[in-house]
Amino acid sequence: MNNSKNTSDSNNKGRVLVAMSGGVDSSVAAALLVEQGYDVIGMTMQVWDYTSCDIEEGNGTCCSSIDVDDARAVADRLGIPFYVANCESKFETHVIAPFVDSYLKGQTPSPCVNCNTYLKFDHLIRKMEELECDYLATGHYAQLKTLPDGSSAIVTSSDGWKDQTYFLFTLKPDILPRLLFPVGDWEKPQLRKYAEEKGLVNAAKKDSTGICFVGKKGYGQFIEERVSKDKLDEKKGVIRRYPSGEVMAEHRGIHHFTLGQRKGLGMDYHETLFVLKISADDNTVWVGDEEYLFSKKIKLQETNWLGDFDENEKLKVKIRFHHKGDWAKIRKENGEAYIEFDRPQRAITPGQAAVVYRDSHLIGGGWICPESLETPSIQ
Amino acid sequence: MKMEQDENNSKLNCVQALHESNDSEERFAILQKSWASDAFFAPDSQKIYLDHNATAPLAPWLKSTLSESLESWGNPSSIHWAGRKSKEILRTGRKEVAQFIGASPLEIIFTSGGSEANNLALRGVYDSLAISQDQNFKKRKKWITSKLEHPSVLETLKSLQKKDPELEIEYIKVHRGGKLDWDHYSQLIDENVAVVSVMLANNETGTIFPIQKMAEIAHQQGALFHVDAVQALGKIGVDVQNLGVDLASFSGHKFYSLKGAGFLYCRKGTQIERQISGGGQERHRRSGTENILAIQSMALMCRHKQDLPNFSSQMTQLRDQMQSKILKQIDHVQVNGGQADRLPNTMNITIEGVDGESLLMNLDLKGFAVSTGAACSSGSPEPSAALMAMGLSHQEAQSSLRVSLGWGTSSEHIDHFVETLVKVVERLRKVTKESLH
Repeated sequence: MNNSKNTSDSNNKGRVLVAMSGGVDSSVAAALLVEQGYDVIGMTMQVWDYTSCDIEEGNGTCCSSIDVDDARAVADRLGIPFYVANCESKFETHVIAPFVDSYLKGQTPSPCVNCNTYLKFDHLIRKMEELECDYLATGHYAQLKTLPDGSSAIVTSSDGWKDQTYFLFTLKPDILPRLLFPVGDWEKPQLRKYAEEKGLVNAAKKDSTGICFVGKKGYGQFIEERVSKDKLDEKKGVIRRYPSGEVMAEHRGIHHFTLGQRKGLGMDYHETLFVLKISADDNTVWVGDEEYLFSKKIKLQETNWLGDFDENEKLKVKIRFHHKGDWAKIRKENGEAYIEFDRPQRAITPGQAAVVYRDSHLIGGGWICPESLETPSIQ
Repeated sequence: MKMEQDENNSKLNCVQALHESNDSEERFAILQKSWASDAFFAPDSQKIYLDHNATAPLAPWLKSTLSESLESWGNPSSIHWAGRKSKEILRTGRKEVAQFIGASPLEIIFTSGGSEANNLALRGVYDSLAISQDQNFKKRKKWITSKLEHPSVLETLKSLQKKDPELEIEYIKVHRGGKLDWDHYSQLIDENVAVVSVMLANNETGTIFPIQKMAEIAHQQGALFHVDAVQALGKIGVDVQNLGVDLASFSGHKFYSLKGAGFLYCRKGTQIERQISGGGQERHRRSGTENILAIQSMALMCRHKQDLPNFSSQMTQLRDQMQSKILKQIDHVQVNGGQADRLPNTMNITIEGVDGESLLMNLDLKGFAVSTGAACSSGSPEPSAALMAMGLSHQEAQSSLRVSLGWGTSSEHIDHFVETLVKVVERLRKVTKESLH
């Protein structure tokens, strides 16, 4: 019986807890670790009561029961122990509630970061310790490098399009030596081919896109189902034209808007207008010409740094997941930070994260504050 | 090949020896030997199963008999030779099952298991009430149960209530020690009560409820009494006459038989409406071709009435040993439901400062099958509703562990388990402590 393999086995590289979502990336991560001779345990976080949502199961979102089944099928195929961890209440507290709250404050949240901060790299780190594992592995497209001084760094994935380091900026430097990202140096097509060769059930499964818990109904309705009508009514207000201040229409709640949005404003107008600012104080949604969407400065809160830098150093900053990143200087101040880009950036959106890189190295980041927006203000 | 033959021979020998012996001690020794020859129940097995309240393994000595019965594939409703063979198994089985619980064969309705038996009892009575000529009975709207029941009782009652908003469900209060509040129960009982449905023994704590006394006062008010006796089979003797109940649910797989068979005892004269209509099997009370093999396995186990006391006392002894060792070697442990009468095989404890989920995974990785809360189909454990109903906090319920012994459990298993548990708890508490700093 080899049910009590331990790290002292000569050909054993240690025990790894691998977070398996049921998607192809984390499945291949698990398969690679088994191949490399680690003692592997699979775990899926049950974050959502799938019986209460309309998400079509198995469509590549990370919370449905079909996904749990897929993860289990892969684990069985690999012959590794597999567990489902109940994370529903943690997910509710740290991901869903802040997500809803953020929209009600007129911001645009980035829930995947919180899921990493509070679930994958907190709850599962704890499980890793509890299950006597040496490492925690995930299917993130990110790489870990050991620097000449012995410390670890997170480096962008070889697949530039899939790179997920943006979602990892809250990681604490001291846990990096305990992490493994086995697919970080893989490219997606190659990875799918490997999954197929290994006979993994999800080799051809669609990538997860969008927010896993919202489903087809869209985030607006998701929020309306979870917040009382009275509270939603408090979020109604008017749409004003910038800079004139002219009232153009009434709206049914600031949570229906996102910065830079130009469709679905609920009004007909001969010009294309963009949402420039969502003011939570008086529920005003400011719209206007695209040129006003550009600015250079950001204020960041709740920052986290994985590496050091100089105030005068030029670093690359990404202001949303799909942003290419642009040059900026950063000044730290009491857990906050001020970013100034060389060039104006379009739609710097409160609630999103600004993430900082030196070349391919992840340096850290923080959350974009509403105060970042200089324009428009009421004249 | 030879080993396999030897093994088969020893199994056959076991069956034969049992057949010939009427001496309890001798039989007990034969059965113990049979368990010890099973791969998972050998004293030195690396995989140790201590989750018999979830399901029990197939008794090792049944395997040879049942493999012969694979030849009895006929439909018992057929009149030809193939059907006759199956019909014979069914008829004998019904008699053996009835004898085991002190009923008469016609009072036994075979079902697919305990959940179906509970559904049939409750929905069956509800439907018969609706068409009853007895106006006094028909107007009864109160159904009494407890929060400790299995979901197949609780969810069935809720679904009846959804259909019939006039239906009231009353839950008997539960004490922290695991006992039902007798005063509350007697207050609830009045001439408006249609049915009382309470389990004989709780699956999570093993607490045994005073069904006889409860049925008596329910009957005084003209109410029917249903007992979910699923957890009792193979642990304590069950006699439906003694209990004085009208309906009782049983399941085979908790009693070392195959999954897929159970039965409802329905006292002669108790009106229930069928829930599955069709070919009219089970005297029109439950249609569908019978699961002959599973029913036979259950019936074969019912031949062990005289062996049950020996196994009960063996389990009690081992459970008590295990419990006192744990309480001695691990601090801040409380026994849940320990103040009430308990099934001989069950121990439920809360281990302070330890997450039940992680404890379970750790023990599994080391080869031990135990449970926290109830087995859940999603595989993601929720804190036990029964423990919460007993007044435990979310935290206490989350830190609970259920260990349920079986006929094949040996003192070696228990020692090995306690030794491992002590180490795992120590390590988990250390992790908790470190994460707080």
